[in-house]
Amino acid sequence: MRLLWKLLRRHVSMAQLLGFFLANWIGLTIILLSAQFYYDVRPLFGESDSFFKKQYLVISKPVNTLGSLLGSKGTFSSGDIQAIEEQPFTKSVGAFSSSLYDVSMSAGMFGTNMNIQTEMFFESVPDGYIDIDLSEWKYLPGSKIIPIILPKNYLNLYNFGFAQSRNLPRLSEGVLSMLSLKIYISGSGKRDVFEGRIVGFSNRLNTILVPDAFMTWANDYYAAGRKKEPSRLIVEVTNPADEAIVKYMDAHRYEVEGDDLESGKTAWFLKIIVGIVFFVGFVITLLSFYILMLSIFLILQKNTGKIQNLMLIGYSPRKVALPYQLLVLFLNILVSILAVTVVWNVHLAYVEEIRQIYPSFGNGSLLPIFVILLILFVFISLFNIFVIHKKVKRIWNGNL
Amino acid sequence: METIRLIDTLPRVFDGQPEIKSDVWNREIAFQRGKTYLVEAASGTGKSSLCSFIYGYRNDYNGDICFDDVNIRQISLNGWLKIRKENISFLFQDLRLFNELTAWENVEIKNALTRFKTQEEIERLFDRMQLADKRHCLVGKLSYGQQQRVAFIRALCQPYDFILLDEPVSHLDEENAHIMADILQEEAVGKGAGILVTSIGKHLSLNYSEIVRL
Repeated sequence: MRLLWKLLRRHVSMAQLLGFFLANWIGLTIILLSAQFYYDVRPLFGESDSFFKKQYLVISKPVNTLGSLLGSKGTFSSGDIQAIEEQPFTKSVGAFSSSLYDVSMSAGMFGTNMNIQTEMFFESVPDGYIDIDLSEWKYLPGSKIIPIILPKNYLNLYNFGFAQSRNLPRLSEGVLSMLSLKIYISGSGKRDVFEGRIVGFSNRLNTILVPDAFMTWANDYYAAGRKKEPSRLIVEVTNPADEAIVKYMDAHRYEVEGDDLESGKTAWFLKIIVGIVFFVGFVITLLSFYILMLSIFLILQKNTGKIQNLMLIGYSPRKVALPYQLLVLFLNILVSILAVTVVWNVHLAYVEEIRQIYPSFGNGSLLPIFVILLILFVFISLFNIFVIHKKVKRIWNGNL
Repeated sequence: METIRLIDTLPRVFDGQPEIKSDVWNREIAFQRGKTYLVEAASGTGKSSLCSFIYGYRNDYNGDICFDDVNIRQISLNGWLKIRKENISFLFQDLRLFNELTAWENVEIKNALTRFKTQEEIERLFDRMQLADKRHCLVGKLSYGQQQRVAFIRALCQPYDFILLDEPVSHLDEENAHIMADILQEEAVGKGAGILVTSIGKHLSLNYSEIVRL
């Protein structure tokens, strides 16, 4: 093998191999980096709300100046609700109930003197529409603990607005769930203190949700005798992409609250951009692959006489091809290791950046790039090996 | 392998030439293992073609060549590789040495494949062929006569039923030609192998069983 290599390494051009090496390194790094980045960042956009099932739409009536002046209530009458229930796309309709009593809340944080007190309100939807462990999402009359789902926006407001300007630590969802909230409820001449426990955050609903059981009990207790029509409905549909829904909502001038639209667009652009970058990486890799093959062909061409002689003294095409195949394999392994190293370091760097904005952003894993790398490596290396063998065999055949 | 049989064999380049006076072409002839043949030929009568047909790296001939009962056109790539390692050894007229390697390495690259001779045996062959001091010289730097001797040693580094020597002594002096003949006598005749020597004038002095005119 040593002698064989001594013989066959003639005409191996370092410049060509270096060219291949750099091009392949760059190409592979771009491919892997774009894949890794996409895999890492996608959850930030495509994030579906874990508390509401996909097939739910929230609809409301628009608030406009004229309506406000004329005192239009903007609520859904039982007739409206029945009409929606009768639509073919509807599976079920639930109404949002709002609190008919006064709610205020104060939040204190461990180790700080910070105390926020604010007037607020509650809403609830039937439990069936909430996709959360029901053991956490319940209220027994008499209990002083209220489970709450907050809009994600509130957390963002705090993290990007308040905390940023006051040099306070950013909070993750997990930390916030440990926050103690004092809730004061008054109405009908009664006033009580409750403890609020945040069980989750929602992207889809800009409201503070409490369990339906609590709402029913509290409305009876603090606001006996008062009634209010719902201003928002939650509709379970068979297929949210159904055109009939859009037509119906437009015809009745109902507004559909969507969280998916904007992030959906962003995710789409992300996909396009990553796709373009991935493609560029792929083209570079392909070109580098081409350089390598040309280089190897050139070496084989220049060494044809020697290869012929080797086969005449009994060396098989397989044995003759082996040194070149090992060379290519070695280069491929080296390039792969270097590419993964670069990608991993870049990944660590941008994860740090992203975490400035999204504190709960995970570390991610290298799994996706390893899978892609493995596929590329196996495919490219096998192809290299096959092509070299074929080329050497052709020299044998030219011999006959 | 016991016989190499040629049946109406003729190089295609000779196609259409009216009268070919030859003991080999366009006839049936068999070379037997254990016998020594001298193939005498004038230049251009297809001497090297004959060797390359038998060694399987050219097949531009009419008629058939058989090893025992096997037509060599049927032999696969792996079959030829095995034959070149175990059944037929060939001292090429153009030697086909590797100029980038030393004399020793040129022999070693063959022996690494067959593991037929020990280092000591190869050393002894170098000594006898008066190449002891040239062992580590690049082959390209040696004279043609010296290269011929290196190629000869390489040809001995494998088992064989037949050994083909294409003008083995063309550039050797009398003394070295004798040494080569002696070694061949010991190595090949002793093993009962068949020997085919071609020549256009200068003969390797062996006890030929048959002299064939090409």
